[in-house]
Amino acid sequence: MILKNLRNLYFILAFVSWVLILVDDITVIRLTSPIIPLYFSGILINVLLSTFFLFTFLGFKIEIGSKRTGHFNDLLWQVFITGAITVLISLTIKSAGLFSHNSMFLNDPLISNILYHVNIGIITIFLANGFYVWKKMILYQKTKRTDVVWHLFEYLVLISIVSNFFFFDISDPYFLLFTSPLTILGLISAFNLKWVAFLTYKQKWRSILLLSLIVIISLSFLERIYEHHITSNLVIDLADNVFIQAIFGFMLMNCIVALLVLLFNLPTSSVFEQKFGEVMLFQKLHQSLQVGEKEEDMYELLISSSMTTVMADAAWLEIRDNKGGLKAFQNSNIDEFDVFEIKKALRKNQVNISSEPQYIKDILSYPHTEKIKHLDYKSFLLIPLTSNNQLIGTLVLLKNLNDGFDKEMVDIIFTFVSQASISIKNFRLMSDAIQTERYQEELKIAKDVQQSLLPSSLYLNNTVQLSVYSKGAKEVGGDYYDVFELSPTRFAIVIGDVSGHGTSAAFNMAQMKGVFQSLVSLDLPADEFMVLANNALGRCLEKKNFITLSLFILNTETQTIEYARAGHCPAIHYNSLTNSCEFLDGKGLGLGLSRNNTYDKYINKYELSYSPDDVLILYTDGLVEAHNPSRDEYGYERLKQMGLETAKDQPKQIIDSIIEHVQHFSGSTQFEDDCTLLVLKFS
Amino acid sequence: MRITSVKENEFYFIAIEGDLDASSSIQLDQAIEEALSKNETKIIVDCSQLEYISSAGLGVFMSYIQDFQANNISLILCHLSEKVLNVFQILGLDELIKIAATKEEAKNLIG
Repeated sequence: MILKNLRNLYFILAFVSWVLILVDDITVIRLTSPIIPLYFSGILINVLLSTFFLFTFLGFKIEIGSKRTGHFNDLLWQVFITGAITVLISLTIKSAGLFSHNSMFLNDPLISNILYHVNIGIITIFLANGFYVWKKMILYQKTKRTDVVWHLFEYLVLISIVSNFFFFDISDPYFLLFTSPLTILGLISAFNLKWVAFLTYKQKWRSILLLSLIVIISLSFLERIYEHHITSNLVIDLADNVFIQAIFGFMLMNCIVALLVLLFNLPTSSVFEQKFGEVMLFQKLHQSLQVGEKEEDMYELLISSSMTTVMADAAWLEIRDNKGGLKAFQNSNIDEFDVFEIKKALRKNQVNISSEPQYIKDILSYPHTEKIKHLDYKSFLLIPLTSNNQLIGTLVLLKNLNDGFDKEMVDIIFTFVSQASISIKNFRLMSDAIQTERYQEELKIAKDVQQSLLPSSLYLNNTVQLSVYSKGAKEVGGDYYDVFELSPTRFAIVIGDVSGHGTSAAFNMAQMKGVFQSLVSLDLPADEFMVLANNALGRCLEKKNFITLSLFILNTETQTIEYARAGHCPAIHYNSLTNSCEFLDGKGLGLGLSRNNTYDKYINKYELSYSPDDVLILYTDGLVEAHNPSRDEYGYERLKQMGLETAKDQPKQIIDSIIEHVQHFSGSTQFEDDCTLLVLKFS
Repeated sequence: MRITSVKENEFYFIAIEGDLDASSSIQLDQAIEEALSKNETKIIVDCSQLEYISSAGLGVFMSYIQDFQANNISLILCHLSEKVLNVFQILGLDELIKIAATKEEAKNLIG
């Protein structure tokens, strides 16, 4: 905003200077007795002229400087339009003079000077505009050196405005010596033509046209200046002005150099364009790696880009999945049946896809190609897509020409395809990662579900103390325990293990809980409970899954326990009277193992009496199967021994001692399987 | 884990080496499937080199029990280590699957 205001201020100051010059001229020419002495008037005119030049240039410096670089044609167009308009104005004025048929009009020094001033104004605008447009073009993709050279040149040019105050003889050798740095710097700058390379073929032609027109306009202005120089009696003569001459010289030189360079560049232009296109393709490919695009979009991009790069007539792309199966097929300009025939012909000629690209110069010179003769494809380029030495696909490009692919093309396509292969690989890794994450999320949910299936409080009554340890493995396991109050003195306690891991284990455990909760309230004998549970579970469990379960019906009044063991690890009973431990290892088959109506043959119920200070230890196989690095299992005997040693303690302490002992044995605090331990102590 | 299958006279031997866990049980499943596809009726599983069996491994035997009963196929395990035998016993599977001490005993059991 400030810059814009500054620019407007410069333009206003330039305009005021120009009007003042006009006023001053009129006073000099019209008034016989000037208000200001003639000497001062001369200086004043030069001061005004200098300020006019300076502000016009500064104004355009801001105006052009704020424009976007890159649209060179637009910039040149602007120079041309400015020139064309100014020429038009100047011609109108001139023709107005010619048609007036008034010799007074032409010969009157006042009129001719005013007209000449209008010319000065428009020429200055044309030059200022042109000068800064050239600056923009010259400094395109600038280096430190070109920047310094240009700024030196620009400041020297602006300083040369001061020359208004002196009269120079342009042919004077001293003068030439003085102005030579300006010429040299101008020349050096004129050869910075990087912008030419970025024009397309069409743009180059347009630039040539515009430059030629600008040269014509410049020359017509120069002609005008010299015409006036010779014919008129002028107060200000631009023909003697070093500044104006320097800018003109610079503009013409630049235009001519650029014209020549453009002309010489024209034949190679198409190659440049192609290279530039390839760079853009790679960029596009790179952008397609951004999240959000699909692997399928990649195929589309790969096939279309490859075809344009080598100007192929047809192409197809096959993509294989990680197991080698066909995942995607994409064809362009060729139908699937023809692809099939071509592949058949290639196979007959032992052309197989390997990790190296293959080039067939003329397929029709091969045998077995009768069926594809009519297709008129001659040269083939077969490029494998590989990633980590694994073949993930094949790109086949076809051309109607014999030997239609040169080495250059093959190299580019190969690079392009390997880039695309990396992209495809990345897409796959990404989707794998998402899959894994989803799986982890599912496991977490399963784990939460499993936790919520276990009872939150385990109080029986004041004659039994009960403590529990339950530790899930890294993944979801299937340990299950539950209690149910049949009456204030009778309780059902159950512990079980669902085979398998993961979400299915959690699901089976939920079924187990449902079966337990619905059957336990029937208050059945333990073995009948198991028969019914086996029937129910046998119908819903997967064939390979089964559940081990122990059910204990505890009567605190009679101090007896009725139990049945369906394949579950035998509980340990510590008898305080004999100070010994024994396994409650009665006969019993796991639930779901026998799915016909013969399960009752495989299950028994047992009963035992207990006395105060007796201990009952229930556990799952995660505990006894915990093993040390040399793969020795903790086993049943060590557990039994620990039961005996800790029997005098409270349940909580017994659990702590056992877990500590197991962990010490296995040398790890993390159980491989999930592990549950329930300890009951009677009083 | 490694599984080898050998046909010896009318007997079809499957030998299991190493650990039979969730991942390796698929191989055992395939081996039994293969035996069934060859219409073998006298299958003896040699467990002398079987070090550990998980519930998934047991599940494989389980899933065939009804097929065996229905099609009159005998499957006998032999040379079980104490540890592996214990697993079968605790689960009560020794009641459903015939277990022999040696190969010879297994052959005699099938008859």
